[in-house]
Amino acid sequence: MPSPATTIRCCAFRVGGDCFALDADQVAEVIREAGVARVPLAPAGVLGLVHLRGRIVPIIDLADRLGIRRAATGRAGTHLIIESQGDQYGLLVDEMLDVIDIPTDRVEHPTDAAVSHEAVVGVFAAAERLVHLLDPERMIQSLVRPRTPTPARHGASHGGPR
Amino acid sequence: MSDNREFIEEFLVESSENLDQLDRDLIALEERPDDAQRVASIFRAVHTIKGNSGFFGFSKLGALAHSGEHLLGKLRDGKLTLDDRVAGSLYSMVDAVRSILRSIEETGGEGDHDYRELSRTLAAVAAEEAATPRPADPAPAPVSAAAAAVPAVPVSPAATVAVSAPAVTAPSATAPSTVEPPVAAAGPAAAESTVRVDVGLLASILDLVGELVLARNQLRSIDSEDPAVQAVSQRINAVTGALQEAAVKTRMQPIEHVFSKFPRTVRDLAVACGKEVQLVVDGADTELDRTLVESIRDPLTHLIRNAVDHGIEAPDVRAAQGKPRAGRLTLRAFNESGQVTIEVSDDGAGIAVEAVREKAVARGLIDTTAAATLSDDRILQFIFEPGFSTAKQVTSVSGRGVGMDVVKTNIEAIGGTVDIHSRAGAGTTVRVRVPLTLAIIPALIVRCGGERFALPQTAVSELVPLRPDRAGPRIEGLADAPVMRVRGRLVPVVFLDRFLGLRAETACRDQGTVVLVRVDDREFGLVVDGMQAGGTGSRDLLEAVSLSTVVVKPIGGLLAQLGLYSGATVLGDGGVVLILDLRGILKAAALPPIEREAAPVEPCLEATDRSDRYLVCTTRAGRRIALPLARVVRLEQYAAADLEPLGARLVIRRGDAFTPVVDADAFLGGRQAEPGERVQIVVLDDRRSGLGLAVGGILDVVTAESDLQPDLAAPGICGSLALGGLATEVLDLASTANLGQSA
Repeated sequence: MPSPATTIRCCAFRVGGDCFALDADQVAEVIREAGVARVPLAPAGVLGLVHLRGRIVPIIDLADRLGIRRAATGRAGTHLIIESQGDQYGLLVDEMLDVIDIPTDRVEHPTDAAVSHEAVVGVFAAAERLVHLLDPERMIQSLVRPRTPTPARHGASHGGPR
Repeated sequence: MSDNREFIEEFLVESSENLDQLDRDLIALEERPDDAQRVASIFRAVHTIKGNSGFFGFSKLGALAHSGEHLLGKLRDGKLTLDDRVAGSLYSMVDAVRSILRSIEETGGEGDHDYRELSRTLAAVAAEEAATPRPADPAPAPVSAAAAAVPAVPVSPAATVAVSAPAVTAPSATAPSTVEPPVAAAGPAAAESTVRVDVGLLASILDLVGELVLARNQLRSIDSEDPAVQAVSQRINAVTGALQEAAVKTRMQPIEHVFSKFPRTVRDLAVACGKEVQLVVDGADTELDRTLVESIRDPLTHLIRNAVDHGIEAPDVRAAQGKPRAGRLTLRAFNESGQVTIEVSDDGAGIAVEAVREKAVARGLIDTTAAATLSDDRILQFIFEPGFSTAKQVTSVSGRGVGMDVVKTNIEAIGGTVDIHSRAGAGTTVRVRVPLTLAIIPALIVRCGGERFALPQTAVSELVPLRPDRAGPRIEGLADAPVMRVRGRLVPVVFLDRFLGLRAETACRDQGTVVLVRVDDREFGLVVDGMQAGGTGSRDLLEAVSLSTVVVKPIGGLLAQLGLYSGATVLGDGGVVLILDLRGILKAAALPPIEREAAPVEPCLEATDRSDRYLVCTTRAGRRIALPLARVVRLEQYAAADLEPLGARLVIRRGDAFTPVVDADAFLGGRQAEPGERVQIVVLDDRRSGLGLAVGGILDVVTAESDLQPDLAAPGICGSLALGGLATEVLDLASTANLGQSA
């Protein structure tokens, strides 16, 4: 894997009861969840569109994509704006956590991860919890592919393309 | 070399611009060989290319440019005069330089072609010093056919045989405007007052301005008693508006960018076809969205090729008919009602309408009776039918129109229209209308299943409310293939709520509004919400749908792949609304092609005129009148203050366009009522800019229950009808048009 003793600066966030992280360089912006316009017949997991300073950005429901059941807290979530191949996307997450530095040599293969999805590329055991490393590019690509049946809500037991 | 990539790209862009300018200069120079400034400009351009190619190590290009420069130096110093051979060899050099540049752009290298012979030819031409400089020749300078007709091929001296005397000449001084003078005047000055800006940066500025406009709207909606806040708010309002206008202009580019290539195109075509053509260009400064400028290049080139190849006759034929030997090809661009119109017209042979008529019947596009009744202009439009024009009969008789369907398809793809007019013996005019921009479009906002959607207004032909309780259009047919009868045509309809999965079962079947749209020559109805309020008047119709000018924003590949939405927009209230891709919906809905079977022909004017649906309104004095719905373009409301006096009449200003307004009462010879705060305008399709009829209110859209009883006694009235159980006077729109014209 990557050379030892390097760290990746990551944005950590919570979806349901699980903790995730993205390379901070890939996060363009973090905004509060607000008025999402519905898109009829959109691929599963695409919540709709938001207007962000002149740009129209599709919002992806990470919980849906990752097969996580979310408690209806009634609290507004957060949109994590990322960029993929020139287009911007928003990921709906429940709560932003800290910015953490993850040593690459302590990232493990996601075989034992609590959440299994092709976009979960590694896990990192932080002090009190397991952080799932996400590859946003793979997350987007899993949506761009020809439409597949709606993924199972929870207990998706295997990664890789369905 | 790869480190230089950025510089090389800049060099390529700059050189290609220089070459375009070279083409124009050479053509102008042929016209006036003694124009020393022109020679100097050509010399500079070639010198720059030579210098740059040396810098990047492009040796072939350098050698070629060097030979050209040498020849041009002789011209500049007056040791040589521009004649056929000199011009021919210079054109060959320009073409050769262009092909080397193309090769550099595509492969990074100069290619394998050997240009040494061309260099030798240039040197040979340069060596023949002219004994005496020729005096200025007012007649069109003949050019070598062989040299210019075969681009990028070295010309040996033996090949330069004067075949005919084709010439592309600038028009006489009386012509409105030509390619030549603006270029000469704008040359160096334009270069100094412009900068290159990254397109992405411009796009992001536009986005930010759009955002500012929304914030401005929110600010305006805040009530504040504080006069200082009001003053600031007003100022921000004005500045934002001006800023938006300026930002939108950065997308614009003069059509000159396309037109500038045409003098050379026409010249080469004329040489190849043995014709003499005089090209007149007018309105090259007309501006158009940058992205659209590129998309009209091919269709226009095609039209020009058609005009030179098939339209304009050979010089001898023309002379025999008493026409000037040189055919006249006019390219005209101008703004018209928020669109850009480009006309390509020639004074050539025109099209034999009868041949087209016969062909249309033979191909089964119309039956014999329809063919006999359709006007010549209507018949001519069949030229745009796919595959129609490739038929030998038409091309050999009229010699016109190869691939016109492709032109039409390309123009329609960018939301434009194209039509053709021709008179046998007198020439042909093809008129292309394209929107100013695709970034900002007039849109119809509809409601359906709790959502709002935008439709490009250019595709919308009619709005038809559905009423379960009354006679009128209703949706017939099976659940899986619903249709509606519109003036004798069967039009397939799509229930938007069910189609988009907004509701399991449509709620619109009996009380929706049908938006009739036309894309790619297919008409279909989109059934949206409306009328639920239990109302009966057209007020509900206006609430179910509204018009707005929207800024089109991309929605990204993820959602674009659905093929149902062409973008999204942000409305004044900040709401994000999807723009329906009507072409995509047509495809996805897989509508049955029933329109043709049920219709006698294409929807023709004759059928529309027999329309039996009327818009019923009251005048401001309270008189009940009706207008044929087919003539109504749209309904608009204005504050009385928005009506501006222009001379003796009132106009509404929309952008650069003016729509004249006629008061219905005044038109009917009555007293004009005192203007209220709001004015309801019915925009009619009269004339180019439309005609606004100021009325008191809109009552309804109804189907006539009787035939028109002619009544010529009353001014402005052509008769009366039973509409909605009441006798209603029908406005004589023919005289409205006259009034609009003369008022």
